[in-house]
Amino acid sequence: MNIAVCICQVPDSASAVAVIDGALDMTRVTWVMNPYDEFALEEALLLRKQFPGSTVSALAASPESGKDLLQKALAMGADRAFEVRSSPLQDPFQTAWVLAEAVRNLYGKALPDLVLCGRESLDYQNASVPAMLAVMLDLAFIGPVSALGADGERLELERETEGGTELLVARPPLVISAEKGLNTPRKTGIRQVMEARKKPLEILQASEPPPPLVCLEGVEPVSKKRRCRYAATPEELAAMLDSDGHIRQISGEG
Amino acid sequence: MAHYLVFLEPRNGLVAGVSADVWHRVQEQLSSGDRITGFVAGAISPGALDVLQGSGTVYHALSGSPAVSPGTVLCRMLSEFVRKEGCTAVVMAATTAGKMLAPALAAALPASLLAGCTSGSLPEKVCRRYIHSGSVLAAYRPEAAIRIFLQGREHRSSPFRSMERPRYVVFQESLGPLQDAEPLIRTISASGSPEDISEAGIIVAGGRGMGDASRFSMLEELANLLGACVGASRSAVDEGWRPHSEQIGQTGKSVAPELYIACGISGAVQHLAGLASARTIVAINSDPYAPVFDVADYGIVGDVREVLPRLTDAIRDVLRKK
Ligand SMILES: Cc1cc2nc3c(=O)[nH]c(=O)nc-3n(C[C@H](O)[C@H](O)[C@H](O)COP(=O)(O)OP(=O)(O)OC[C@H]3O[C@@H](n4cnc5c(N)ncnc54)[C@H](O)[C@@H]3O)c2cc1C
Repeated sequence: MNIAVCICQVPDSASAVAVIDGALDMTRVTWVMNPYDEFALEEALLLRKQFPGSTVSALAASPESGKDLLQKALAMGADRAFEVRSSPLQDPFQTAWVLAEAVRNLYGKALPDLVLCGRESLDYQNASVPAMLAVMLDLAFIGPVSALGADGERLELERETEGGTELLVARPPLVISAEKGLNTPRKTGIRQVMEARKKPLEILQASEPPPPLVCLEGVEPVSKKRRCRYAATPEELAAMLDSDGHIRQISGEG
Repeated sequence: MAHYLVFLEPRNGLVAGVSADVWHRVQEQLSSGDRITGFVAGAISPGALDVLQGSGTVYHALSGSPAVSPGTVLCRMLSEFVRKEGCTAVVMAATTAGKMLAPALAAALPASLLAGCTSGSLPEKVCRRYIHSGSVLAAYRPEAAIRIFLQGREHRSSPFRSMERPRYVVFQESLGPLQDAEPLIRTISASGSPEDISEAGIIVAGGRGMGDASRFSMLEELANLLGACVGASRSAVDEGWRPHSEQIGQTGKSVAPELYIACGISGAVQHLAGLASARTIVAINSDPYAPVFDVADYGIVGDVREVLPRLTDAIRDVLRKK
């Protein structure tokens, strides 16, 4: 099985992200692999173990993605790691576009059997790239997937929806996005990290993508602070909530 | 002049409540000359569309979903429909299906996807939404002629009322046979809770401070009384006390209740990321310095084991007197 995994980097904590003069300031940020992408990569590695001869290629298109991200992917066990080099990407559409091109360049018409992505990246949380990538590659898309089983021909996948858990059956090729709970991503030790440093980082040059569909116009910091009114007893709390109109009979409401 | 296409999601044979809300919100915002069209695909019970008030036409595609993964066939069907009918905007609820369909449709058309905008009104020039765990508010400008709005739950003061009812039309277009590669939904096992927390009006949530799984029965009791859903922090989910479907926060769900009661939850930034749209927050925590009090409107310092039963009794008393 040929598996491509799309990965990106996100700030390890949003508290390091600042807004200076109406622009995002990321200078204090430490970057980590997007946690959902770790689930995607881990699943690819588990499938490779189940189907010997499979290859796992990690592709990173986010402009911030430096060597660390690709080395982390190699340390986890990816066979190859590619930086998809492009002009700064402004929205998920452009990101998906350069990734789709990279996948085509890498695999040709055959396309990989599976393209795995994380459910969303934790910084912007658009959750758009996987579905867009699927449309651009003309593949079916299933996500966010919380369980996956493969028998060589078909895949059985589960996803949580408002109506309950759906069990889906599909045949590769397919784009899948990974939800938390799909697996437990492996930890990488010093040895794996050192070995990964010896492997080559490859570069795929992207062409100029079409214009973005949405543009970031401005940012402002948010203060979540509220003024808390303390109650001394639970009874007082109930009375406060009631007098402010927060307690209502449920019958009669839709 | 705008032409809105509202995607109506079927759920258990009916139109999902969140989809009906979206339909009525668009109805409220129509200016003269604007048009509204609904689109529902899949099996629905007779009379399922009776909940929809207002003007416009609702198309019903009989085949297709829910047996087929929405990303594929539905996306094709809708993008052809949008082009043919000259729709300027597509509006849908931010459900699991909606969140998959919207970006696919955006890429297929192409269209500007505006998700989770804090201001509900549609014709606005920019979409403001939270990024970086709710610590930054960003303004996004759509660049494409067609827009897709993915709408979360909104606080509504009064329901939309109209004497008009939309026209019902069976959608005749055939998309040809399904490809062999089309993913099929084989089974759907019903979820444990009847309501999803992302759509709940009141949420009673528990964290590690609840101590163990059995104590969540205290939250269930309070939730029953208030007509609320039970939610959880990631720690409570990681402990195995609650299912992941109840997790609130950055790696869980974003919620928008009128009232959120946080019990034994410290108020980590990743948890608060899911609460950006919560209107009123109540914190119950034994640690007076817990960060959750900084973002709460009401607080009580105390042990959940003592506070919760008494609070539940007191609220029961209040309700009895009403
Ligand atoms: C990438 C990433 C993503 C994350 N995503 C999420 C997410 O989606 N959602 C989420 O919730 N977290 C998330 N987290 C985890 C988050 O950082 C916190 O660890 C978590 O929210 C803490 O949960 P908690 O408040 O239940 O537990 P704790 O932080 O352990 O807090 C327990 C609280 O209970 C109080 N307490 C203890 N005993 C009692 C008692 N008897 N009565 C009253 N109060 C009591 C304590 O004072 C304390 O404040 C994420 C973390 C990372 C790194």
